Amino acid sequence: MKTQVPKTIRIVLATIVFLLSTLFFCDFIHRMPVAWHGLMHIQLVPAVLSGSIGILIFLFLLAVLFGRIYCSVICPMGILQDILSWFTRRGKKKNRKKRWYHYTRPYNAVRYTLLGMCILFLTVGISTPLLYLDPYSNFGRIAVNLFRPVAIGGNNVVNRIALLFNNYDFYQITIHTVTTASLILALAALLTVGMLAVWRGRLFCNLICPVGSFLGLLSKFALFRVRIDSSKCNGCGLCAKACKAECIDSKGQTIDYSRCVACFNCLDRCTKQALSYTPPALVGTGLSRPPQSAVNRNRRAFIATSTAMAVTLPLIPVWAKGKQPADATQLAPITPPGSRSLKRFKEKCTACHLCITHCPMQILKPAGFNFGWEYAFKPHLVFYENAFCNYNCTICTQICPNRAIEPLELPEKQTTQIGIAQFDVNLCVVYVDNTSCGACAEHCPVKAVRMEPYQGSLTLPHMYPELCVGCGGCESICPVRPVKAIHVLPSAVHGTAERPQEEEVEQINADDLDFGF
Amino acid sequence: MQRRDFIKTTLAAGAAVMTFDSLWANPNQLTVESTPDMVAVKGGAPAQMLREAFKSLGGIGQYVKKGQNVVIKPNIGWDRKPEFAADTNPELVGELVKQCLQAGAKKVTVFDHTCDNWQRCYNNSGIRGAVEAAGGVMVPGNDSSYYKEVKLPKGVKLKSVKIHQALLEADVWFNVPVLKHHDGARMSIAMKNYMGIVENRPYFHSNDLQQCIADVCTWDKKPVLNIIDAYRCMLRNGPQGRSVKDAYEMKALIISKDIVAADTAAIRMFSQVEKIRIEDVGHIANGEKLRLGTQQLDKLNIKRINI
Repeated sequence: MKTQVPKTIRIVLATIVFLLSTLFFCDFIHRMPVAWHGLMHIQLVPAVLSGSIGILIFLFLLAVLFGRIYCSVICPMGILQDILSWFTRRGKKKNRKKRWYHYTRPYNAVRYTLLGMCILFLTVGISTPLLYLDPYSNFGRIAVNLFRPVAIGGNNVVNRIALLFNNYDFYQITIHTVTTASLILALAALLTVGMLAVWRGRLFCNLICPVGSFLGLLSKFALFRVRIDSSKCNGCGLCAKACKAECIDSKGQTIDYSRCVACFNCLDRCTKQALSYTPPALVGTGLSRPPQSAVNRNRRAFIATSTAMAVTLPLIPVWAKGKQPADATQLAPITPPGSRSLKRFKEKCTACHLCITHCPMQILKPAGFNFGWEYAFKPHLVFYENAFCNYNCTICTQICPNRAIEPLELPEKQTTQIGIAQFDVNLCVVYVDNTSCGACAEHCPVKAVRMEPYQGSLTLPHMYPELCVGCGGCESICPVRPVKAIHVLPSAVHGTAERPQEEEVEQINADDLDFGF
Repeated sequence: MQRRDFIKTTLAAGAAVMTFDSLWANPNQLTVESTPDMVAVKGGAPAQMLREAFKSLGGIGQYVKKGQNVVIKPNIGWDRKPEFAADTNPELVGELVKQCLQAGAKKVTVFDHTCDNWQRCYNNSGIRGAVEAAGGVMVPGNDSSYYKEVKLPKGVKLKSVKIHQALLEADVWFNVPVLKHHDGARMSIAMKNYMGIVENRPYFHSNDLQQCIADVCTWDKKPVLNIIDAYRCMLRNGPQGRSVKDAYEMKALIISKDIVAADTAAIRMFSQVEKIRIEDVGHIANGEKLRLGTQQLDKLNIKRINI
């Protein structure tokens, strides 16, 4: 096999995955095929949280057979780092010396502590460490909160110009879903990952990323791996200079497979053809073995990691306690239909913001810390003018890769009670001004708010809470300011609304009717 | 000459001149005895009824001239299938687009300021499909940047309003509502359909809805025709309807330039199936007070067609 073939395949696959993921995350006109969400389901953290056994087995086999291919072609954050270092021409032959990579020792204590912390917290139902560290969720937030607004801005400029020529092929889009908190977090993630990538290649993946650390543990035993044929190697170090994972020790002729992301940049860099990506049988004598000193280092790292975890462990109950709202009347978020309950949603969601992009009504907004630190950055429903949960839409339930929002068929979604509207007659326009209104009843898809006879020809809203699904149609359109006369109170555990009764109507044949005038 | 004779003679002469003038100016009208004030059709398919109605009205060419920029404003307020009768019949809108283009219109655009997500409304109502198949253009109405301020000097509560720029730039426009029950305004027909051309609807609701509806209809650029789709009507649970059982196949169409008369006729037709008192639909009386038209249908020349 030619030495550049694996790298070419990697680049082609990575480009496809990155383009599809980015487009799907930035899709502000909702034109991308919904089926693309499959790409998000094969991400490791979503697969763990959604309990997708099949995908986990696939990813496990991928790692033990081929190494950390995942990090190079499946993880959009990994590919984003490659793009950034490619633009800055890191590790390129023709560059000045300082642009080369150098072999470094692994930071095992840090990376395994972070991994252990994520796992430990997850076992007690807290996904918060993963929310901040998961590469997929971070990529999602960067795309949704930074790339997407830029794309929308471009669209709006084009639209303004088109409107001058009375052309309506484009349309204006107002950005409702980026909050200060989500913007800051996404920016921080992009700056951190970006600077690490430009400075030291895949340092993020080998220092911070829990997915990288976990796959590293598996890829140590990978069948296919980049191997150094010591009979050919002259220790020149060209491979190490191209290695963005900084894992090739050319002097010791060893590769740290826990850090190798299988990018294959090293393969065609070797002038002696000493490097190959092969199973063990094909390389007889040249099998690289870790030198003795490495064992000591591993032991040291193990001790450090264990100590760090032992210190973290008692903290968990303290953190877990802190998550309970101090005041029971504290305002709670409205969680999307399919999330089942506030508790479940908090445990499962890592705030990738995919649902935020795809909500056609743009009512899902990332929270700040107002609902407690455990809900921070996770989406909740916000109703504003002309924006409420569409009765016939299930898109967020279909695409959530974590299954934090479980898939709902339309009939189930239409009876899922995410909250219940509360009507305050003392604020109502009809009661206060004695004029017609009925905007709430008009917007109610299930007639949980109905206009009933009041004074003269006036009608007054009346609530049937058992029918209410909490879609917020009424709240979004209620003209009363500043406090609306009708608003949705969230259900901490989603209920089931009664299905609206269909009235039997006496059939009058239209042919028997006259004009009536 | 006595004063009485003078008045008589002047009036007679004036009438003669006017008649002569209209005959002279519009030779097309010679073929029609006299253009009716209202045409009502029953018993046909939506497109067929529209074609029949235009025959009595002297053809679409009476309303759309060559090279004109035409806007059609149906009701596309809700994300509902056509069977719900929550939105104007797509077949009717498609046929109207086709006729306008045949009459030589330069461009036919269709929009509504929808209540639900505009793309879902446009698509699921079937209107986008019908309009684009007929050669018309669907225009978004979702963003406030499309709306421009217009003064309403005759308005009682509503003195100015922001109206969609497609309509401001149009040479002629058609108001094409669907006949339905409405929880807020009691009935949603031609006058209520005006609420889809404006930006700020909550203002209407908080400032005497029934008066604001009448006020917005005083905008001096009137539709050349109000075409009320009564092929399917929503009898109750309007304006969205809870199920298709709320819809009723009336198989009718009412067309008039007089918006008050059109709404009055539609309510009388509707009342045969589901009782509704016209006094409760406050905006109609308010509209008559603002001289937008008449509820006195017997004073109008109405052409009734049974298919």
